[in-house]
Amino acid sequence: MKNRLEKLRKLKGIRQEELATVLEVSRQTIGSLENGRYNPSIILAFKIARFFEMSIEEIFIYEEEQIDEK
Amino acid sequence: MKNNSVGKYVALAAFGFILFVAGLALAISLPDAQGIMRTLPYICVGIGSGIFGGNVGTAIKNRHLKKDPNAAKQLEIDTNDERNVAINNKAKAKAFDLMLIVYGALMLAFALMRVDMYVVLAFVAAYLFVVFSMVYYINKYHKEM
Repeated sequence: MKNRLEKLRKLKGIRQEELATVLEVSRQTIGSLENGRYNPSIILAFKIARFFEMSIEEIFIYEEEQIDEK
Repeated sequence: MKNNSVGKYVALAAFGFILFVAGLALAISLPDAQGIMRTLPYICVGIGSGIFGGNVGTAIKNRHLKKDPNAAKQLEIDTNDERNVAINNKAKAKAFDLMLIVYGALMLAFALMRVDMYVVLAFVAAYLFVVFSMVYYINKYHKEM
């Protein structure tokens, strides 16, 4: 799933480590989210949305896509 | 936050060490023992060293974490991180699939080698126990989720 996390984080002027600390996840999780390698749980998605004061849909872009289960 | 007490683990490590020493002492003092006394010292040495090693490690880690609250917080985050949990669960699931294949192959090899029937039956029982555990948990989680 695509998202605007990296762009929004940079707009806020914070590092991955700082965002990770606020969201209580590892820095690697933020990296994976930004690269689109990992889709967050609904709880983490809400935490991210609340942090950026946006709705989930404004951050995560859902497209009818084929889910490639590795 | 997790319980980071040190005393409990030090006490358990001391118990493990005593068990280890008692096992060694028994093995040296009773070289011609028969029956259960022949294997008991070695069981004590094995279990004692396991308990000692594991608890000393945990005690040292907890002592370290008590001195450094930031490291403790980071460890807690890393342990509960949803991606780490998902990765661990996925790795365990893959390893379980592999284990079933390895177990099956081992059972077949033992049967072909004409190993004693009770050994093969013990393997079959363990295999079935694991498989039925999986079925049980699938049913349990179907009801819960």
